Amino acid sequence: MKHNTVKVKEHYNWPVTILLIIGIVVVILLPLYMALMIAIKDPSDMNNILALPKKIRLQNFVDAWVMTDFPRKFFNTAFITVINLIFTLITNSFAAYAITRNRKKSKFFSLMYYYFISAMFIPFQVIMLPLVVQANTFHLDNIFGITFLYIIFGLPMNTFLYTGAVKAIPEALDEAAMIDGANPIQIFSRIIFPVLKPTTATVAILSFMWTWNDFTMPLVLLSDESQQTLQLAQYVFKKQFSVDYNLAFASYLLVLLPVLIVYIFCQKWIMNGVVAGAVK
Amino acid sequence: MNKKIVCTLMVGTLLAGMLTGCGGSSEGGSSAKGSKGTELELFSTKAENKDILQKLVDKFNETHEDVTIKITAPADAGTVLKTRMAKNDMPDIVAMGGDNNYTEVESAGMLVDLSGEDYISTVQESYLQMVYDVNKDKEEKAYGVPYATNASGVIYNVDKFEEYGIEIPKTWDEFIAVIEKLQDAGEQPLLMTYKDAWTSLCPWNSMAPDLAPTTFNDDRKAGKTTFVGTHEEIVEKYLKLLDYAQDDFMGLTYDDGNKAFANGEAAMIVNGNWAINQYLNSNSDLKVNMFAFPASNDEAQNYVTSGVDVLLGVCKDSANEEMAKEFVSFMLEPENAKMYIEDQFAFSAVKGVEQENETVAGVKEDIANGKVANFPDHYYPSGFDLSALISEMCLNYTNGMDNEENMNQFLAQCDEKYDIANVD
Amino acid sequence: MKKKTSRKRPAVNRIYYIYVGILAVLFFTFHTIPFLKGVMYSFTDWRGYGDWNFVGLRNYIHMFSDADTGNAYLFTFKFAVITTILVNVISLILACALNAKIKFKNTIKAFYFLPYMLGSLIVGFIFNYIFANLIPQLGKGLGIKALSVNILGTNNAIWGIIAVSLWIGCAFNTLIYIAGLQSIDTDVYEAADLDGATGFRRFSKITFPLLAPSFTINMVLSAKGYLMVYDQIMAMTEGGPGTSTTSIAVLIYKKGFGGGQFAYQSANAVMLFIVVVLISVFQLRVLEKREEKLG
Repeated sequence: MKHNTVKVKEHYNWPVTILLIIGIVVVILLPLYMALMIAIKDPSDMNNILALPKKIRLQNFVDAWVMTDFPRKFFNTAFITVINLIFTLITNSFAAYAITRNRKKSKFFSLMYYYFISAMFIPFQVIMLPLVVQANTFHLDNIFGITFLYIIFGLPMNTFLYTGAVKAIPEALDEAAMIDGANPIQIFSRIIFPVLKPTTATVAILSFMWTWNDFTMPLVLLSDESQQTLQLAQYVFKKQFSVDYNLAFASYLLVLLPVLIVYIFCQKWIMNGVVAGAVK
Repeated sequence: MNKKIVCTLMVGTLLAGMLTGCGGSSEGGSSAKGSKGTELELFSTKAENKDILQKLVDKFNETHEDVTIKITAPADAGTVLKTRMAKNDMPDIVAMGGDNNYTEVESAGMLVDLSGEDYISTVQESYLQMVYDVNKDKEEKAYGVPYATNASGVIYNVDKFEEYGIEIPKTWDEFIAVIEKLQDAGEQPLLMTYKDAWTSLCPWNSMAPDLAPTTFNDDRKAGKTTFVGTHEEIVEKYLKLLDYAQDDFMGLTYDDGNKAFANGEAAMIVNGNWAINQYLNSNSDLKVNMFAFPASNDEAQNYVTSGVDVLLGVCKDSANEEMAKEFVSFMLEPENAKMYIEDQFAFSAVKGVEQENETVAGVKEDIANGKVANFPDHYYPSGFDLSALISEMCLNYTNGMDNEENMNQFLAQCDEKYDIANVD
Repeated sequence: MKKKTSRKRPAVNRIYYIYVGILAVLFFTFHTIPFLKGVMYSFTDWRGYGDWNFVGLRNYIHMFSDADTGNAYLFTFKFAVITTILVNVISLILACALNAKIKFKNTIKAFYFLPYMLGSLIVGFIFNYIFANLIPQLGKGLGIKALSVNILGTNNAIWGIIAVSLWIGCAFNTLIYIAGLQSIDTDVYEAADLDGATGFRRFSKITFPLLAPSFTINMVLSAKGYLMVYDQIMAMTEGGPGTSTTSIAVLIYKKGFGGGQFAYQSANAVMLFIVVVLISVFQLRVLEKREEKLG
């Protein structure tokens, strides 16, 4: 069906198109362009911020790379992000499904629903210090522990996101499978999970962004410097090398780059996922 | 569905590729000194001194081969230290300021009393006293040994002062005259970097010891006096200074301001020795010097503001308390103390160790003679955020509020907020 | 009706109980226990370490006489209301525009979603630089006085933070609105065309009501997020100048960790939690009722 609409020659709404493109250039790209210009310039070449550099200086990236110990921080961040992503998608989706489907049948699940949803509104600051103590007791003050905590802490938001989508799937689907003798895990993995794909995309993006960009939890949990994440390193970096904007911006771009690469490759999937999955 | 798999695989391989690519390179350096003997952790609240501490640790290792000392200097060190206290995971040695962060650690009973150690006698009494003053109940015990000290005052551009033939001002009137002279010559006399609110404390910290009643801090704590009625002159002079600040002084950050100052965009800046490194990083040809802030017209009253910038403490429950003490002792050897202050443009609390750098020559004599006053805010309760109040006063100033009204409002606020914070 | 179905349905499979039970225990251990501890500390004088005593409701009562807390609430509400409204208006307009028959649709959409991917810490740093250097330079060049200073150092600092929050936040909201728009059956529009409803009338009478579910999600999530605003402010003003941009979360962090008021700020955090929950429940009630009426 989608293909039909593409093939039909349409009258494009050019004024809107042009306005949107202007918006992209001025609002979205200008700040990023500025960041790039600063990152590739020499400190002496900063009079006109937006002008192209007289000479491109890639040394900034090299210096930033070395100073922030980029490879190690990247490894830590990527580890946390990827592991969290995989486990979040598997565990949280099934939890949300179990809760939503059984809410009407059992008080327990209804209770769980409200329990998780209400936790969404707890400010991180209130649990921060007790959490640090708790995490220490269980030896979770390392990248493995923090990953585990992310998976657990994602439950409220993800339950909230999945609920609508699960509701929209007719229960007859489950029932038919059940009559065929499938167990809940089979029903979920073979029938429900594929249908939930759009919402899974939403959840995936949100988890990815959350863990990649978070710096409060790493700040208080990861006391060992070799375990630091990229964002945390930026926070340190800003204070230590404050005057050298060229270096600082090169470092910011290094952190943004992996996200941009993922985004460019998966852009269509991400967009379609969010669009189709967010509201049901 | 296919797309999803392809995409996931792509991200996966991408990440995996990067990981293996980078993982290898970072393995090598990290564990050179693996399973050797004693391991200690040195926690510094100043990210700026990490490199020199590392050098000193390396030197220590020349004589103590079996000891590994790991330096931790995180961002937001205060917060991190507090979380470490909460989980009872203290380092072995702390290097921190003699401020209310120290008071919190000390009053929680986390530190070992070092009063009996030999090196205590080599430390200047005035700085030891400053540490006693911030101990809980002003107990006269050295839970922290003063190591490096700082100086706050007016930092000036030497070339500009020479160019206009300006003498170092010794009194408030002379100071204003100098400012006027520079302004008439088309120079920016004072640079203020109040986007970072803490810098707005610098003039206050320099003026308050000169002009406030000497017993103010104790009396205020006991509720026997108030800011209202004692600090009017300070606020008046503070507001007077704002008349000479550059446009947009509320919007300039410390970093940008340092850069601008280093490039000769202003003649003076009120800050401390810790900023000098930053100026020289932006412009290594810059010639700067420092003089005591002349807040009073009575020259004898104009102290250099100097406090304990770094003190060393040994934590209780350290498994290697003896080794930690030995390291502190090593740090306090004159030769090593000298190494530290030379790198940091700081002053030493160790007797006889003098800072010879030109950039702070103007305050050296006062410091050696003990004509110093501690930072008043080290005595304020820790919940009392004076910088926010001053910054608010400055904001009101830029909004054109009447000075008299602004001052009254500010001082009343000071008393109110002080009382709220002054609960134990 | 409920009763009837529950009688008919088979019992819930044990796997569900076990699975959700395990997760609930984990969640309870690592999230709820710290939270309950936080609540408990709000009734004490704990400083984050060392000994403590129960002080009853002292911390809560103190909140009502503390100007700092009052100001933080005022700022936070002002910020949350303005930002929530603006983010929804802009996102709605953007969504409609992106849903129009435009060329390069997917590419354009991809660009508008980009800010969401970048993370508020670094975006905050970048905009810090823009407000401190680029805009003042521009303002001076054009001779506009209001633009020639760093907005973050003035009374209007809140607008700087709002601008950055919009820059980051519009992307996600827009996408949700687009999703809502695409779920609207084109038949509805055709019918409307026959009735002669066009332009704004068509939007207000047909499109907007049908966007109700998207609107609900966006309003609740943005209001919740902006009531807890923290990252952007820490990256840009750290609550200044003065205390003019100190949000509740920033106050909790600064005073609770830096200012030795851990117990008192725990009380504040509990209060923030209650406020956010009340507002969200209220929003959900009102908006869901509206959805039902329209649905």
